[in-house]
Amino acid sequence: MGGLFSYFRNLLGSREMRILILGLDGAGKTTILYRLQVGEVVTTIPTIGFNVEQVTYKNLKFQVWDLGGQTSIRPYWRCYYANTDAIIYVVDSADKDRIGISKDELYYMLKEEELQGAILVVLANKQDMEGCMTVAEVHQALGLDALKNRTFQIFKTSAVKGDGLDPAMDWLSNALQNRK
Amino acid sequence: MTDSKYFTTTKKGEIFELKSELNSDKKEKKREAVKKVIASMTVGKDVSALFPDVVNCMQTDNLELKKLVYLYLMNYAKSQPDMAIMAVNTFVKDCEDTNPLIRALAVRTMGCIRVDKITEYLCEPLRKCLKDEDPYVRKTAAVCVAKLYDINAQLVEDQGFLDQLKDLLSDSNPMVVANAVAALSEINEASVSGSPLVEMNAQTINKLLTALNECTEWGQVFILDSLSNYSPKDEREAQSICERITPRLAHANAAVVLSAVKVLMKFMEMLPSESDFVPTLTKKLAPPLVTLLSSEPEVQYVALRNINLIVQKRPDILKHEMKVFFVKYNDPIYVKLEKLDIMIRLASQANIAQVLSELKEYATEVDVDFVRKAVRAIGRCAIKVEQSAERCVSTLLDLIHTKVNYVVQEAIVVIKDIFRKYPNKYESIISTLCENLDTLDEPEARASMIWIIGEYAERIDNADELLESFLEGFHDENTQVQLQLLTAIVKLFLKRPTDTQELVQQVLSLATQDSDNPDLRDRGFIYWRLLSTDPGAAKEVVLADKPLISEETDLLEPTLLDELICHISSLASVYHKPPSAFVEGRAGLRKSLPARSGSAEGVHETNANVAQVIPSQESLIGDLLSMDINAPAAAQPGQPAASQPVDLLGLDSLLGGVGDTSSTAVTAQSTTGLLGDIFGLGNAQPAAYVSPKTIWLSAERGKGCEIAGTFCRKAGQISMELTVTNRAMTPMTGFAVQLNKNSFGLTPARPLQVVSPLPPTVSHECSLPLSTTGAVQRMEPLTNLQVAVKNNIDVFYFACLVPMHVFFTEDGQMDKRVFLATWKEIPAQNEVNYTLTNVQGNADTIVQKMQQNNVFTIAKRNVEGQDMLYQSVKLTNGIWVLNELKIQPGNPNITLSLKSRAVDIAAGMFQSYDLILHS
Repeated sequence: MGGLFSYFRNLLGSREMRILILGLDGAGKTTILYRLQVGEVVTTIPTIGFNVEQVTYKNLKFQVWDLGGQTSIRPYWRCYYANTDAIIYVVDSADKDRIGISKDELYYMLKEEELQGAILVVLANKQDMEGCMTVAEVHQALGLDALKNRTFQIFKTSAVKGDGLDPAMDWLSNALQNRK
Repeated sequence: MTDSKYFTTTKKGEIFELKSELNSDKKEKKREAVKKVIASMTVGKDVSALFPDVVNCMQTDNLELKKLVYLYLMNYAKSQPDMAIMAVNTFVKDCEDTNPLIRALAVRTMGCIRVDKITEYLCEPLRKCLKDEDPYVRKTAAVCVAKLYDINAQLVEDQGFLDQLKDLLSDSNPMVVANAVAALSEINEASVSGSPLVEMNAQTINKLLTALNECTEWGQVFILDSLSNYSPKDEREAQSICERITPRLAHANAAVVLSAVKVLMKFMEMLPSESDFVPTLTKKLAPPLVTLLSSEPEVQYVALRNINLIVQKRPDILKHEMKVFFVKYNDPIYVKLEKLDIMIRLASQANIAQVLSELKEYATEVDVDFVRKAVRAIGRCAIKVEQSAERCVSTLLDLIHTKVNYVVQEAIVVIKDIFRKYPNKYESIISTLCENLDTLDEPEARASMIWIIGEYAERIDNADELLESFLEGFHDENTQVQLQLLTAIVKLFLKRPTDTQELVQQVLSLATQDSDNPDLRDRGFIYWRLLSTDPGAAKEVVLADKPLISEETDLLEPTLLDELICHISSLASVYHKPPSAFVEGRAGLRKSLPARSGSAEGVHETNANVAQVIPSQESLIGDLLSMDINAPAAAQPGQPAASQPVDLLGLDSLLGGVGDTSSTAVTAQSTTGLLGDIFGLGNAQPAAYVSPKTIWLSAERGKGCEIAGTFCRKAGQISMELTVTNRAMTPMTGFAVQLNKNSFGLTPARPLQVVSPLPPTVSHECSLPLSTTGAVQRMEPLTNLQVAVKNNIDVFYFACLVPMHVFFTEDGQMDKRVFLATWKEIPAQNEVNYTLTNVQGNADTIVQKMQQNNVFTIAKRNVEGQDMLYQSVKLTNGIWVLNELKIQPGNPNITLSLKSRAVDIAAGMFQSYDLILHS
């Protein structure tokens, strides 16, 4: 019985989880992607289009799609929603002006049928910046309290420093595994 | 339930399946899916709906998959311009890939995606690739710049890519240099301003020449092509470039050879023709061109089209290579025809025998097109090589004797040209041609034959019958034939006015009234108008001397030729059309050969080589326009002969050797002025003989207008006495008269005055004074006068004979000694004898009768019972006529001996004596 269970586990484990990293432009999505993949900070340019990389975290394989956040590209996010297991929504905590836009984009996205089963991780990024919003403030600003029927969690991160990513990934891995 | 259900399908379909496969986790399945998509795309199915899904497969380390996705992108990016933006990041990444192949692939694909929205994002990666460490990437990037220029020229200029491209010209890798050159040439050609954006200088040229020897064959073509656009600053530079590229002539690739030929042809223009270098180069150019003819037929054809240009520009190059252009039995037809063309161009006195025997053989082959061209070629040889004309003509005659229909027709077409080139030389063959008249069924041949008949109407006795036979089916003829027939009949009429009037009227009415072809109608009207207004002018126009055709008839116009020389080895040189004629939307700058920097003598030489091309018949219109057809008489007093070289001949004999032929009328008048005092011009000669009026224009032909008339001389002036009778039912108005040019320059001194309107059945007598200051043209017979009378009904033509005695002037009395001296002076062959029969009266009555008509008796002698009268006559045109009459008493026959420097007048003179003495 245990053998059979592990067989299934292996089967499940070999399947790649499809994860989208979304968020406004300049939030730090690409930096986070490569932080996760190679563990280093790479110099990035605005992503016109997308990046897709294989990320292995604790024996789990993820196929991570990092989509450009510019206004012109946001309409095409929808092309990537199908079969998505989880969404990592990155917010620039220092960008108080556009937090409202960020909230709107988040809610538009969550309304999509294809994403109903997707787990949401919100990263309040750029916590290293002076005068940025705290996790609670971001939580508040995005109106996450109102979220229902959604497995989600918010984390404070600094992709440049590498802070806070591990807890977020740990939580995500667990959440994905428990879902099965 | 509504009918909308029919439009919602539950079937997911192929696209849906492909979509899910493309989104599969399994790489293998994904790749298969992309392959399926590409397969559908290549067979023409629209798979653009899969754009996002395919683009998502783009980031892969599998080169095969990447290539396939790129292929898809190139095809569909344009139809999904907005979505194409999703691919940009991948391009950017791929341009930084570690694998140079991927970098190059990315930059190449970028250049092929013609979407404005994403071009700006591609500049940075392109800039990097232009500086890439790998030559393959740099080369690809160079080409991409040219592509980008086509999409957005401003962007390329702003981003400084042109400078980067220029830097690549000094790249260490020859392949990069070649591609940079190609890109720059393309950009220069596409430049909006028309002027090259990047100018080459001597240094870059030097680098190109160095790279030339090391790069691939296609690289060499690029470099050579751009060298051909460079203008060397002086002869020395041109020569050194020529020297360095000459080895390319030995290359195995035909494109390299032709491109090298192009550069050499262009730069040779700059070299002084007297230098030794040009002949050396000329010698070197022949073998590679000959070699091209041993490749497959398609290449041969291209080579031949180019050689055709080269031969026209520089016949020297291939003048000894005639044999390679001889047609082989198994050549495809297009090669054969092209070879024939070149054979004719190369034909010269040296090789004409060989060429002719070849051509004669070709003319017996089976392929009709080829045979036709061969026959035509023989004709062209005749025109080109004068010494061979006779042989060509006899060859053509042989061919005509074969009676092969299309050969005969073709031969007649070329013989027409031979007649133009060698007038009055081969007309003896006309009869042979006429034999084949019935077999001609092609318009061109018929038209040619008709032209020949019209042109030589005076030598073909039955020309009118022949032309009339064509006229029967006038409306069924091709326009070309109709036009020719019209012209030919008008020519015939002008040459033989007396008996062809009906014919000309028939053709004019066919052309103007029964034809709906505007060309024909207008030409008909022009002739009609010409003939009615001024038949003299008509003759001048219609029978004008045609410029001889020299050399060849189908040479390219020199500036076009020069332009095409600059396009050797391109499609333009095959089409023989400038690129602007078949490339859309590219005005570009038109290329031209460099001006020779040396002496101007070279330029003259080129000009002298330019053969004269036959001016088309339409160009004659220019002459028509400059002629004032409304003037009552187109004659210009005082200078009748100046514009009429033909008339000079006739005039010469009329004047009897008088050296100054410029103006007969003036001579006559001035003499009158000098002698007028002595004889007194006022002496009227009331008894001068006037012949009775004869009907010149019957009422039938004049549509009711009958004209009878005669000529007389009153008070020193010739006048035409007319009786105009209206035999029609309606009044006639608007009478006017015109005289054609004639032997004595008769022209109305004032307009015709006929009562207007002239009521029906009324006759009107009028007198039209004539002066002799009109245009002179020798008529046959000399006293023939063509008259055109116009009224409100129509214009009518008729011809009448003017009795010569009206031209006898009042100052015709010669001094005895002058008479004697002149009589002796005029050679014996200028003496004509005539017997006047049945003359009544004695010597004295004869003297008196003649005196009344301005025939002056200088002396009277009695020799052995015979009365000898010596009489002098002076004609209005200043010709003196001396007569000797032998009168035997009791014998009604008088022997008249006439001596004049112009014996042509004899017949008219004898007639006048007859008339006067029998009156």
